Amino acid sequence: MKVLIVPPNSLILFDLVERFGHEPLSVMGALQERIENREIESPPMNITVDDVKKGLKYAGIEVPSGIRGRLAVYGPLIDQAEAAVIMEDAPFMFGCVGCARTNEMMKLLIRKRKIPILELDYPENEDEAKAMVAKLKAFLEGLK
Amino acid sequence: MTADHQTRYIVLAPDSEITPDQLARNIHALGLDVVVKETCFGVVVSGKNDEVKRTVNEVRKLDPNRIFSKVRGFPVGDQRRCRAHKGSRPGFAQLEKEWKDLVLIEKGLQCAERGERPPECKRPSKMPVSDLAKICKEECR
Repeated sequence: MKVLIVPPNSLILFDLVERFGHEPLSVMGALQERIENREIESPPMNITVDDVKKGLKYAGIEVPSGIRGRLAVYGPLIDQAEAAVIMEDAPFMFGCVGCARTNEMMKLLIRKRKIPILELDYPENEDEAKAMVAKLKAFLEGLK
Repeated sequence: MTADHQTRYIVLAPDSEITPDQLARNIHALGLDVVVKETCFGVVVSGKNDEVKRTVNEVRKLDPNRIFSKVRGFPVGDQRRCRAHKGSRPGFAQLEKEWKDLVLIEKGLQCAERGERPPECKRPSKMPVSDLAKICKEECR
């Protein structure tokens, strides 16, 4: 099954979803296609004017273009997703996925799809990590 | 790069006994048609989809719970992304944070492998708005 991961560029989630036998939907995969097919000069701003227009499907015109641009990349992933794993409390809030409003919007769009969702927290100690991996494993095995 | 090609990070957990150099040598020894670039946290591998997947599967056998991988959007040495041309790389901060957490994930994987029951963990919940309002009122007195 296609499992959307949030944060969409998470190494931990990408690896674990793949390890437990599913196809992770990540932003790297979505961007790889763009990088191969188009000449984009200034990564990480890997969007074009067309992307901002495409983002209108996921957010209204009054929403800032940065959010719409990001949603143009995330939106098709959300549409394809058959399940989602959301990891909350990410300590980073900068870089390409550092737009808090986009992340909120993304979570809303995922919840609206009514697909199976697992919400986790970034582990802070061994016990939390054990519980997190066990929950994720049970969730992913249950999807089969 | 075409659609049947992909680039992947292979990341070693901080407590892995394998070095990125050993990892790169192992990949070369597999004799597959992939480009390998050694980095401080592991290697970046680029090539045809099936060859990259085979590389990841083979390499993972070395240390299953301490070798992790994810797809990378940009090919190896892409000038638009390379640190040598652009300065510090956006996105590295997250990779670094998650790399540090791999020690914990490894423990989780070991626990799952042994079929152990994970310990119950409960984080303190957020303060209810009513409690906060009560504190605010007390402060105002």
